[in-house]
Amino acid sequence: MQLIVQSMVSGLLTGGLYAIIAIGVTLNWGMMKVINLAHFSLCFLAAYLTYQFTISTGQDPFLSLLFTIPLFFVIGLALQWFFERFEIEHFMSLLVTFGMFVIFESIMREIWTADLRNLPVDTVPYRAESLWIGSIALRIPQLGVFIAAVIVSIATWLFLNRTYAGKALRAISQDRGVAGAFGVNHRRLALLLGGIMGMYAAIAGVFIAVMFVLRPDGATEFIGVVFAVVILGGLGNTAGAFGAGVIVGVVQSLTAATIGPGFSPLVTFSVLILVLLFRPQGLFVRSST
Amino acid sequence: MNRRVVAGFIIVGVLLAFFPELDDVLGYPRFLLTFLYFVFFWIAQATSWNMLTGYSGYFSFGQGAFYGVGVYTTAALVTKTDLPFLLTLPIAGLLAAILGLLVGFVVFRLRQLRGELFALLTLAVDFVVASIIRNADFIDGGQGISIRRVPYPDFLGTFPEMMFRVGLVIALLTVFAAYLIYNSRLGRGLFAINDDEAVAEGLGVPTFRYKMIAFGLSAFFAGLAAGLHSIQISYVTVEGVFSLTIPLFVILMSLLGGRRHWLGPAIGAIIIYTLNDAFSDTNLQFLNEVVIGGLLIAIILFVPEGIFDRLRSRLVPALILAAGVTVVQAVLIGGRITGQAAVVMLAVIALLVIPARLYDRSIGRYFTRQQGPAEALNPVAESTTGE
Repeated sequence: MQLIVQSMVSGLLTGGLYAIIAIGVTLNWGMMKVINLAHFSLCFLAAYLTYQFTISTGQDPFLSLLFTIPLFFVIGLALQWFFERFEIEHFMSLLVTFGMFVIFESIMREIWTADLRNLPVDTVPYRAESLWIGSIALRIPQLGVFIAAVIVSIATWLFLNRTYAGKALRAISQDRGVAGAFGVNHRRLALLLGGIMGMYAAIAGVFIAVMFVLRPDGATEFIGVVFAVVILGGLGNTAGAFGAGVIVGVVQSLTAATIGPGFSPLVTFSVLILVLLFRPQGLFVRSST
Repeated sequence: MNRRVVAGFIIVGVLLAFFPELDDVLGYPRFLLTFLYFVFFWIAQATSWNMLTGYSGYFSFGQGAFYGVGVYTTAALVTKTDLPFLLTLPIAGLLAAILGLLVGFVVFRLRQLRGELFALLTLAVDFVVASIIRNADFIDGGQGISIRRVPYPDFLGTFPEMMFRVGLVIALLTVFAAYLIYNSRLGRGLFAINDDEAVAEGLGVPTFRYKMIAFGLSAFFAGLAAGLHSIQISYVTVEGVFSLTIPLFVILMSLLGGRRHWLGPAIGAIIIYTLNDAFSDTNLQFLNEVVIGGLLIAIILFVPEGIFDRLRSRLVPALILAAGVTVVQAVLIGGRITGQAAVVMLAVIALLVIPARLYDRSIGRYFTRQQGPAEALNPVAESTTGE
């Protein structure tokens, strides 16, 4: 029992990381109709930059956010400009960003080699620490990523529902032509969204660097899980992505704890297939028909 | 069936079938046989993928799963039973086809699972099959399978010769099947599905049955070629088999060659594999991936219909360019024959990527015969029907 509760809790917290990555992917897909595989590469590029920053300065890895966030805002913006310039949408975007994904991976392998990279213990002394609630351990990095996911989700929700730019973006995603007729500047808002997605990649990157051992091809492992989260949550649905991230996190760690670690992809993707078959609009959307 | 095409198949098949015997006469290096085997393997993979996707527009990532099932079927049967290895190949194909039919039976019933969702669902099938195989102790159990020497009939020659011959047969079978589909009711039905599935259905195309047949055949040939390939890899692991290499490469090859024609994927496969081999040969692994990824982006943006159509309309200049580059290399530079082929291909692709308008104004002027103005549709007939 202790084991099951413990694994549920740590799955719940780890789900926060899936949620942060998935929010980037789901907004790109739901709003801009771009399925952005390059988002995964950006997360890992940010993680490697965090690693490099920490190694060279010896400072806390989270300080690297001071420069990765602006940097990735610009990168995300540039990517979005590219998608707009060549009108890359839907399936085409999946293939084009797949090409980018391969290129990013080989760049990372060229710079940081295929060796495993891990932050030295003395730069992140709190990595192995835990908060204890009774006999349940909350590991500090996992707790951090969960809190960050909550903040990112709420901020995104507020942005989309309470600001002019957010409302205009939602209008664009429903009908670009009509939104344009009401004076919504599509291009500028798309660039803004691209920049924000880049910032989220930077945030996810810090946590990836702290929680995982880095490999240039590590991003591949996230693709399947995060797409499962995106579909479960419903396209373009921020709160759905958060909820689905947490669910997938819990399902994965429960499977690992009860049946065996090798089975967690099996369960996750079987759930994904079932949801695609019976509720392709996602778990958190009321059926519209 | 077109007699010229059938004759073409027979000529290419016979010429290549005697290729291993002619090594004394031609004096080619031994690695060329293995190189050509890999080309055959990729031709079979890309062409089989195209049977469903190229014609009907259902983009499948399931190729990874079919390939994986094929590889593991032969690997497991060869190491754990006494079955002759050649007999395991059709079994590998059949098991892959059963998987394809199972997936298709569920997926094709749902109208909304088109486009990206179909792609992602088939991608998820790859992951599920991978983790089933990893956890099944009687197949892999996470250890991988190591295939030692496999007995095969003597008349097939040495190991590279045997791989070359069997690979050739499978590649020819696959391309010929693709040709037959392309020219049949099935093929035309699949093209109609690609254009507008609802209309096709309304006009009496049995869309569900056609998609099932195409998916089943596609999976069968993928599994068949994969079964043979397991002998070539010889150490089979889940990580190696289920990497994204297979889906990525077949998509790239088919898009490059042109997926609206039965021969397109084969041409794409020859080009991509040759380029890939030339780059990985020269310690340029970094450049290799950058070029592959960049090529994918460039093709989708600038030649979305694939190079096959353009190759046909720009055949003469392409041949002249290829001959020129070949001569220059043979005289001045030298090097491995496959590397030289790669340079020739890059030159030809560069010619084909030139946008149509620019091409017509510059190079095209010297190669097109004088043509009258394009014959417009009869304007009178059009206006009367419009009333």
